[in-house]
Order: sequence, then structure tokens, then C-alpha cells
Amino acid sequence: MAPARLSKSLLGSFRATSLRPATARQQCCYHSYEYTQPPPFPPAESAILSAAISHVPSYGFTSNALKLGARDAGYLDVSTNLLPRGVFDLINYHLVTQRLALKDSVQFPPQDQPGTGKKLGVGAKALAIMAQPSYVPTSVAELARLADEIWFLAGDASVDTSWYTKRASLSAIYSATEVFMTQDRSKNFAETEQFLDARLEDVMKVGGFLGAFGEWMNYTGHSAVNVLRSKGVRI
Amino acid sequence: MQASRSLLSRQLLREVRQGVAREPYRCFSCTVRHAQQQPPPPKSPQDAPGTTHFGFETVAEAIKEQKVRGVFSSVASSYDTMNDLMSLGIHRLWKDHFVRNLNPGRNPLASTSTPTSTPGSASEPQGWNILDIAGGTGDIAFRMLDHASTINNDAHTRVTVADINPDMLTEGRKRALSTPYARSPRLKFIEANAETLDMIPSSSIDLYTVAFGIRNFTHKDTALREAFRVLKPGGVFACLEFSKLQNPVLDAVYKRWSFGAIPLIGQVVAGDRDSYQYLVESIERFPSQTEFRDMIKEAGFLVPGQGWEDLTGGIAAIHKGVKPIS
Ligand SMILES: C[S@@+](CC[C@H](N)C(=O)[O-])C[C@H]1O[C@@H](n2cnc3c(N)ncnc32)[C@H](O)[C@@H]1O
Repeated sequence: MAPARLSKSLLGSFRATSLRPATARQQCCYHSYEYTQPPPFPPAESAILSAAISHVPSYGFTSNALKLGARDAGYLDVSTNLLPRGVFDLINYHLVTQRLALKDSVQFPPQDQPGTGKKLGVGAKALAIMAQPSYVPTSVAELARLADEIWFLAGDASVDTSWYTKRASLSAIYSATEVFMTQDRSKNFAETEQFLDARLEDVMKVGGFLGAFGEWMNYTGHSAVNVLRSKGVRI
Repeated sequence: MQASRSLLSRQLLREVRQGVAREPYRCFSCTVRHAQQQPPPPKSPQDAPGTTHFGFETVAEAIKEQKVRGVFSSVASSYDTMNDLMSLGIHRLWKDHFVRNLNPGRNPLASTSTPTSTPGSASEPQGWNILDIAGGTGDIAFRMLDHASTINNDAHTRVTVADINPDMLTEGRKRALSTPYARSPRLKFIEANAETLDMIPSSSIDLYTVAFGIRNFTHKDTALREAFRVLKPGGVFACLEFSKLQNPVLDAVYKRWSFGAIPLIGQVVAGDRDSYQYLVESIERFPSQTEFRDMIKEAGFLVPGQGWEDLTGGIAAIHKGVKPIS
């Protein structure tokens, strides 16, 4: 398994899928063996969420993006109450649709110049939201599914025990890379790419679950703390 | 960094532990439930037509309205004491949460760049139109206006407080004097029965709230249909109400408290045992979380997620419904 190929499919998932309209993604066929297709979001929720995603580049994962999405979909500001977990539902929707769309993005590499489009990713603030205690189980589950998809596309069909460590490590790297990317000012995200390659190299060599999990904690924890600090919480 | 990592892992651990702890409770509870002699809430499907419940008493429907009015007239002034007793003193926190979570008010900062938004929401630049049913003392209304003004910088969102009981409305008007909204067009009090809101046009309301009121209504389904009618498409029905404790052990303890102590305290504090007895019984009578969720669906609403959120283990719950568009 070539790290280069893996790295390409990971980066693809950051860049290519991030800005395309999220509608119709659910029709993409689904190809990890371990999961059946999750029930699609109910129609009203999907309408609001998919419209809200297009406001994320300017408003981030915020309740304002949700309200604007609701308006675009013909609903009212107050209708965002349909999403019981608010902004977290938007992040979760993004992760799910991103995973479902991954197949397309790998087979059809993006036309636009890498790094010129606005990046969406999940973002440091979103990661901090995902790390809130009540959301951790869902976040981890969704990240794990995304990781499965990436390994699958990279050609890894192993069903041995390394499957678990691999997917854990890939989730960790995914989160870490996203946090890195949100702070990367280099041209074409060259530093992100280097960072990603180095991390994948590590995992290929050492491969341990604990190391990778620690890494996820480290980056997510770090970004969570920074976001909280930026909100004036003294930590 | 080290600290944040251990913080996160502690949170993860707690999640895992809670998941593990849920199971054993269930078996424990069965024995407790058998051993417990509950005050009898005889759910009687064979009630004569035209009768309803006043606490555990079965009374003619026409009389219930009158009786409920009596209860709230007699507790209007000691009203906070009553709520404190029933909620173990935390109803203010629930109300804060209820309002914060609904996030009332249109944020003008977010409305600058909406070239793509449909003109369907044309009435919104004036803020939200909120109807607070059974709003008596204005508790919810003042919080809504405060939240809209300070959090969303929205000085247009307005609240109509409706209550069947003139004494509660008087109490509300009195309390309004110590808020900035006393003489503002943003706050209005009207006397109305939740089951017939003829003075409110159809499809005119963004948010319909009812806090600790709906269990007193004679016909809850009629009130829900009336809520559906007055809401705009996309508008939200939100209800904060005492509910069923999810943990049977705590439930047993809470019942002991509410049935045993509260009427007695009511007598001592307010000199009015019967009104407090009614309050306790009306809470016990109220449908469970799932039953009430299904009633909301039946009235035509979409419900978010499972349909409700438990507060303090289910002593109270928030139910929501969204009126579908078209
Ligand atoms: C427990 S108080 C709740 C007051 C306030 N919403 C709060 O949370 O503090 C219940 C209120 O419901 C009102 N009420 C009872 N039946 C009603 C009905 N059919 N229509 C409108 N209001 C009603 C009573 O007059 C009383 O003011």
C-alpha cells in the first residue's frame, strides 16, 4: 500500500468534496462492506442542512449558517429548531455527505487549482464542537466511517485485526491534518501535504493505535483549548 | 496541552461509564417498582363522555375551565413559591435553557448577504412574532425579549402573552413594570383560551410557546390544532412541561415529595391545600414524553429528532414541533 495513494485520497477528501453542493450526494453508491446505507436525513432536515452547507465558507459552522440555510430552503429562522443538536447536526451532515461523496472525488480529480478554492474541511471550531462530551460518540463513529471509506478507496481490503488500528490511526490523521490545514498559510497547502505525508509515513512504520489516538487527542485537544481561549475561557 | 489531553480522555471515560451504568439500573428498578405502592392514578378510558379530569377528580368539562381558573387565581401571588416547590427550585434554569435553546430573534448581522434567500420570509425583518400561551406572569415573555435584544441585537421581535386567567395577567402586567418592555409595543397581554384563539390570524406566528400550561387545558388536542393553525409554515411549537422521570428510583422519590409534602407545604405557606393538591395531580395525569410527542405529530407537526428533551432526568421536558411548509 503506497502512502502516496493514500495521501492523495485523503487530500482529495479535503479539497474536492468540500465546496460542491451537498445535494444529491446521498445518491452516490456506498461501498464499505461493513455498513448498510444510513437512513438519509428526513426531507425537511436535508433541505435545510444542504442549503446551510453553502453558507459555511462565509459563516463557518454556526447557527447563522443554519438560519440562512433555512431561509434558502423556504423555511423561517425559527425552523432551525428542527435540528435537535443545532450546529453539531450541520457538522455531522457534512461528515456524512463528505464520506458518501468520496468515491466521486477520487475518481474525478478536481479541475480547479489545488489550494485556490476556499477550504471547508471541518475546521478547528467544528472539531472543538465535536469534542464536546455529549457529541464524542457520534463524532468518533462518523470519523471511523469516513476512515473506512478512505482505506477502501486506497485499495486496502484487509479484514484482519490491523483493520481496527488502521482506521483509528486514519481518523486521527484526518483530524490532525484538518487542524493543521486551518492554520496553513503556505502556497497550495504545501505544508499540509508535507505534514500529511509525514504522519502517514509514521503510521506505516509504527502503526500503533495508541500513538495515533494520542495524536488525535493532542491536536483536537489543542484546538479545542484554543477555540475556548478565543472565547475568553481561561484555561 | 497535557492537561487538555487528560481532560478529553476523562470526558471520553465518563461517556463510556454512563453507557455501562444504564443497564443495571433497569433491573434494580423493577424490584423497586413492585415494592412501591403508588398513589393510584386510575387511567380510566371508560370515563363518561363530556367529563374530564381535574387532578384525579373526574368533573364535567364545563366545570374544569372554571376550576382551573380558580386554582390560578388563588395561587397567582404565591406563584413562584409553587413553581419552586414543584421543580425543586430549578424552574428558572429550565426556563433559561428553554429560551436560549429556541434562540429567539433575527440576527441583523446574518441578514446582510442573503442574495439567494427567497422572499418567502419577507415578514422577518420585523423580527419574530412570538405567542406565549398560558404565559400569565410573563416569565417566558421577558426572557424571550431579553434574549432577542441582547444576544441577537434584535429590537423588533415581539411577544403576545395570552392567558385564560385575568389575575395571572394582572400579575404579569405588574411584573412588566420592572422590565424595559412595560410600555413597548413589543409586549402585549391578552385574555384568551388556548383552545380558541380567534383573535390570532392563521399563519401569523413564528414561535408558539407554552410553559407549564398545557397540562391544565381541557382539550390538549384542540389546543395543538389551534397552535398549528396560527403558526406560519416553518413556525415552531415549543412546550415546557413537567413530565415523567425516566429513572424509576428517582421517580419514586419525587412522587413521595410531590404527593406527600407539597400539598402540606401549600397549606402552610399559602393556606391553600386544594390548589396545590390539584397541581401535583395534574402533573401525574399528564401524558408521558412519547405519548405527548405522538399527539404533536397527530396535529400535523414534524418533530425534531426523538421529539423531546428531558430536563433534570425528566422532571420536566421540552417538546417541539415544526409546521411543515406547503
Ligand atoms: C403554571 S402557570 C404557567 C405560567 C407561566 N407560563 C410560567 O411558566 O411561569 C399555568 C397557566 O396556564 C393558564 N391556563 C390554564 N388553562 C388555560 C387555557 N385553557 N388557556 C390559556 N391559559 C390557560 C393558567 O391561567 C396559568 O396562568
